[in-house]
Amino acid sequence: MSTLHAQKATNTLPHEPEKATLEGRNKILGFWLFLAGEAVLFGTLFATFLTLRNQVADGPSASELFSLPITAVATLILLVSSLTSVFSIQAMHRGNVKSLLTWLTVTVLLGFGFLCLEIYEFYEYVTHYGYGMTTSAFSSSFYTLVGFHGAHVIFGICWISIIIGQVAKKGLTVVTAPKVYVSAMYWHFVDVVWVFVFTVVYLLGKVVG
Amino acid sequence: MTDHHNDGSVVRHRHRHEGPRKHVIAFIFSIVLTAIAFATVAAGGVNTAFTVILLLVMAVLQVLVQLGYWMHLKDKGHMIPIVFMAGGFFVAGLCIIAALYWMWW
Amino acid sequence: MAHAHSVKRHKGLMDWLTTVDHKKIAILYLVAGGFFFGIGGIEALLIRVQLWKPMSTFVTAQQFNELITMHGTTMIFLGVMPIIFAIMNAVIPLQIGARDVAFPFLNSLGFWTFLFGGLLLNLSWFMGGAPDGGWTAYAPLSSTTYSTTHGVDFYTIGLQIAGLGTLIGGINFLATIITMRAPGMSFMRMPMFTWTTFVTSAMILFAFPAITVGLVLLSFDRILGANFFNVELGGNPVLWQHIFWIFGHPEVYILILPAFGIISEVVSTFSRKRLFGYSSMVFATILIAFLGFMVWAHHMFTTGMGPVANALFAIATMLIAVPTGIKIFNWLFTMWGGQITFNTANLFAAGFIPTFVMGGVTGVMLGAAPADYQFHDTYFVVAHFHYVIVGGLVLGLFSGLHYWWPKMFGRVLNETLGKIEFWTFIIGFHLTFFLQHFLGLIGMQRRVYTYLPNQGFDMMNVLSTIGAFLMGVGVIIFLINIAITARKPSGVENDPWGDGRTLEWAIPSPPPEYNFKQLPLVRGLDAYWKEKMAGNTEMTPAEPVGPIHMPSPTIIPFVMSVGLFIAGLGFMFTTEDFGNSALNFIFNNYIVVILGLGITFGSMIVHSINDDEGWHIEPEEIDGKGVEA
Repeated sequence: MSTLHAQKATNTLPHEPEKATLEGRNKILGFWLFLAGEAVLFGTLFATFLTLRNQVADGPSASELFSLPITAVATLILLVSSLTSVFSIQAMHRGNVKSLLTWLTVTVLLGFGFLCLEIYEFYEYVTHYGYGMTTSAFSSSFYTLVGFHGAHVIFGICWISIIIGQVAKKGLTVVTAPKVYVSAMYWHFVDVVWVFVFTVVYLLGKVVG
Repeated sequence: MTDHHNDGSVVRHRHRHEGPRKHVIAFIFSIVLTAIAFATVAAGGVNTAFTVILLLVMAVLQVLVQLGYWMHLKDKGHMIPIVFMAGGFFVAGLCIIAALYWMWW
Repeated sequence: MAHAHSVKRHKGLMDWLTTVDHKKIAILYLVAGGFFFGIGGIEALLIRVQLWKPMSTFVTAQQFNELITMHGTTMIFLGVMPIIFAIMNAVIPLQIGARDVAFPFLNSLGFWTFLFGGLLLNLSWFMGGAPDGGWTAYAPLSSTTYSTTHGVDFYTIGLQIAGLGTLIGGINFLATIITMRAPGMSFMRMPMFTWTTFVTSAMILFAFPAITVGLVLLSFDRILGANFFNVELGGNPVLWQHIFWIFGHPEVYILILPAFGIISEVVSTFSRKRLFGYSSMVFATILIAFLGFMVWAHHMFTTGMGPVANALFAIATMLIAVPTGIKIFNWLFTMWGGQITFNTANLFAAGFIPTFVMGGVTGVMLGAAPADYQFHDTYFVVAHFHYVIVGGLVLGLFSGLHYWWPKMFGRVLNETLGKIEFWTFIIGFHLTFFLQHFLGLIGMQRRVYTYLPNQGFDMMNVLSTIGAFLMGVGVIIFLINIAITARKPSGVENDPWGDGRTLEWAIPSPPPEYNFKQLPLVRGLDAYWKEKMAGNTEMTPAEPVGPIHMPSPTIIPFVMSVGLFIAGLGFMFTTEDFGNSALNFIFNNYIVVILGLGITFGSMIVHSINDDEGWHIEPEEIDGKGVEA
């Protein structure tokens, strides 16, 4: 412990290491801009889904298809992962690398759990209901919207895993800190999108569909 | 957090960062909002128009928690991200309005 | 480069493939954009040759459809947008007093994805036929039912990859302008071109994701058998129209706003006057951008949205004339009472103003929903948007290229040739398109490959074709001018016009790779002019001379784009029967897609785990260069 202390004293990491350099600040700003673009991307996907939500052709409708328990569990998992992501950033601000790595790992595992549920759900639809991409306009828009979100989760899992490796290897520096921060932003945004997905697709699908 | 009480930097930082309490409260708030939404739908029998509005309000509140607290948009120095995120949501809203009102006739 | 560096420096081709220097990326954008502009121009000439006489059989109906589709798509996405990015890259960091852009790596990535997307799209000519559904690719024309070749797949995938590059470029310029401005340069001290670049980039950010989704939906429909636009299983073709125009209308303002910025700089410089009504110009730019997102459905008046929607969108459309009018009057008042020099750059700017006004006036006419039922799908529309895009944007680009050429290349373009070029081009332009208003009004339909004789169309079409060739001659004269200028020795003075107002004219032409030896202190709008008026010959530095940190060159953006190109090609042919079991195997099992994406994401990971330390230019080295200049 004493050597660790000495290290901290000699090259003191600033209090918000992700914003210590211009590169870091640029990265965070640029990522906000990217998220603004992502908002439009998902907005268009939601628009597509909403306009085609009743176009089920001969296939099943939303209320016949969706199961609330699975969605509720998936939502809970993703919400908790958002909280663990916040904890990882707090650990980073305390300069506690070990705690940071733990929370990032928990976040990744929760993301993986969410993903497994989604794959299970899609698999059920395809095998039990014969409900695929080509069934109806509704099914196309459902798989595209929810699949785009799922693809974001996959990307997030891979990304955060790579960052875990980098922090473990290089430590917490003014180069790695912005990466951690930005990936946390991304993860929260994925959660934000999911809030609209479960509300608009699953819950409203049950109510209105 | 207590296991770091002998780490000077942590003690110094604790004054600036409120610790996990605020975020746990935000999390519980989110969970409650989600639970209300799911429970309303699972219970059924509630007026449809009311349910739709309730669900949307729950979703928007929860997103505001995420953006404001967990993504720090409510903190100082986030004017530009707020402006651009608002722009993004605005254009997303335009797409949705078009999809709902000007697509079928 | 005679100087030795600790970092590995590349030479020749490798230097261009790996560069992250915004000035070199600008030249790459200019060359690639110019190349596609040439292809689009040749397509235009072929269209005009076909329409030269009635019942012509120069090309078939199918070839004509491919030509008009590729002409529109190439010109907008691969021709003028990259040339806009060329000028932005060359000028913006200099105008805001920065040494680089915010994301040099992404800047390079944006260029290479654009190039490979563009190449993929044009590959369609050699692989079974180009897209033929019009540049708007309306469903069901673009569906597999009516477009049986892979043409539209090349359109969706090619534009997807190129659009990614544009989006990256937009984010880069937003971040650059927000964070990299020199000390003292507040938002309201930014040059007008910087302002329009900023607003344009914001529009790119909000508009391009919509077309990204639209292209995904269309490619899923065509390749994966989805039903977004398939009426049989509940789809709705109007959905495509909405998504396309929610992107497409902001896109036309994305095109024209940079031209507004260029004209503002040129008019002000060559009138030796401060831009009239600077703050109203800024306000008008933002207002145009906002309104630009609110009017998309005026492209769909005849779709049948009903009177309420049509009325709303008609009113919103006409509102845009107000901020645009503010701009026109501001340019006129800038020239009013100024000491005007009519060199080539300013001729193009002066030619821009009335030409663009004509395009704007027909725009308001088209915005009147009841009248639009008459104009819709006639040559009146063709005339309108060519007045806006060629008469507006392309004249603006020529003006900007003549104006900033010495800054980019250290050589002033020949003025005599420039003036010949201007007059040939603008006379040719009006000859081509002015007549098309009347062709439209008397009933000639656009997008039809031929017409019957004796309907009053014949003579005007002949003249229109002659005009198109005159425009071609104008462009060739420009190319000759470039060739002649390139033989002259490089290294004109910092401010070859003598009247430069903004920061780019305070540094050598072409600038050293670090741009500013010391970051300048900005003390007002038109920072350099202000110093000149205060009797200074150069900017007051805001920092002492010190080592300058530079990003390392990298091949990764190039490799990532190659990966996307391969993945795109693979995705397109996933359902293709090649009649060859090996090819069928690798394409139909997504092996090519996975390979391509593997290259892209693999190189992304390599980039992420290898931190770029960059390298430094030491003060002694800078001084050495200073003496040389």
